[in-house]
Amino acid sequence: MNIKNAKKRIDNIEDVLATVAAGDLEARIQSDIEDDFSGIEAAIDLLIDDLTDELKNRKKIQNELEEKLKKIQEQQKTIVQQQEDLMELSSPVTKVWDNILILPVIGTLDSQRTQIMMENLLHKIVETGCTISILDITGVPTVDTQVANHLLKTVSSARLLGAECIISGISPAIAQTIVHLGIDLSSIKTKATLQDAMIYAMKQKERVAPGHKSDLLYLDDEVE
Amino acid sequence: MDVVKVRQLVRYHAKEIGLGIVDQTRITTAASELFRNMFLYAEGGDVLMDAGIYNDHKAFIITCIDRGPGIEDIEMAMKDGYSTGDGMGYGLPGSKRLVDDFYIESTVNQGTTVRIMKWI
Ligand SMILES: Nc1ncnc2c1ncn2[C@@H]1O[C@H](COP(=O)(O)OP(=O)(O)O)[C@@H](O)[C@H]1O
Ligand SMILES: [Mg+2]
Repeated sequence: MNIKNAKKRIDNIEDVLATVAAGDLEARIQSDIEDDFSGIEAAIDLLIDDLTDELKNRKKIQNELEEKLKKIQEQQKTIVQQQEDLMELSSPVTKVWDNILILPVIGTLDSQRTQIMMENLLHKIVETGCTISILDITGVPTVDTQVANHLLKTVSSARLLGAECIISGISPAIAQTIVHLGIDLSSIKTKATLQDAMIYAMKQKERVAPGHKSDLLYLDDEVE
Repeated sequence: MDVVKVRQLVRYHAKEIGLGIVDQTRITTAASELFRNMFLYAEGGDVLMDAGIYNDHKAFIITCIDRGPGIEDIEMAMKDGYSTGDGMGYGLPGSKRLVDDFYIESTVNQGTTVRIMKWI
């Protein structure tokens, strides 16, 4: 076998391989000697070419994946934000009259929503100084023991802040179900409809503040 | 799976199968209690929904199976107001009162199975 400068060329191959291994993909052997050994040199250069292509390809795919992941994360953030917005929106506390707050609850009462709802209501009670609040659950399809527990807690917290809390909109089916569950809601003032609750609340107001007749006349106007 | 989704599914099937609004509400609420327990105490489990004949009754059947810690004293767990957590302790006994047939089986360290039925 005929190999020129064997020692030097093998050293060169080692150098190139070490350089490539260190991350520099530009390195090549590029020998211009033609002999029995140059085939191996050329083959190594080709291998490095292939490796370079492969790595570039992988980098590209990785970049694309990272791009996609970023997009998904952003979308997720938007969804979470929208859910939060929705939760806030679906538990709007409204001050209807001088002394009365109404909180209509729509949809499913999971723990997180109940928490937000309760905080909203308590905030509003403090902010407005209202002494009567109505929690209308006409739009709540299922009241299990956890939801009932949340309702009881909301009512006692409101009470601590000096506000009476009436729960309205308990359908006959839900009323029966609550009774069968064995939960005692007798400590809570409940009314069948929001309208019943309003009438009750206005009477309470009259009872609490009999001097404010003018207010009541104004209220009657509003009711018409 | 989350409690709300499965509960909606129960209500949907209860309605499809022909249960009235009161019975729909009862079975959905009873099932809701069982789902919550599975998530709370057993890190979830499986829910089977079925319609079939049981003791000559056409029945809507829901079975909840978990591989959680199991219940040590079922008699206690079935008592009103008994809770090992900070629940009201009305889930299991309340669920039983809401349905036509209630069956519970539990082995400590193996899991709990609860089956409820409502006649159609
Ligand atoms: N799937 C279950 N796996 C393990 N323990 C359970 C399971 N379901 C109920 N229990 C136990 O039975 C007790 C009573 O359950 P329940 O009547 O639903 O009341 P609560 O959930 O309010 O505690 C629970 O506190 C818990 O210790
Ligand atoms: Mg429970």
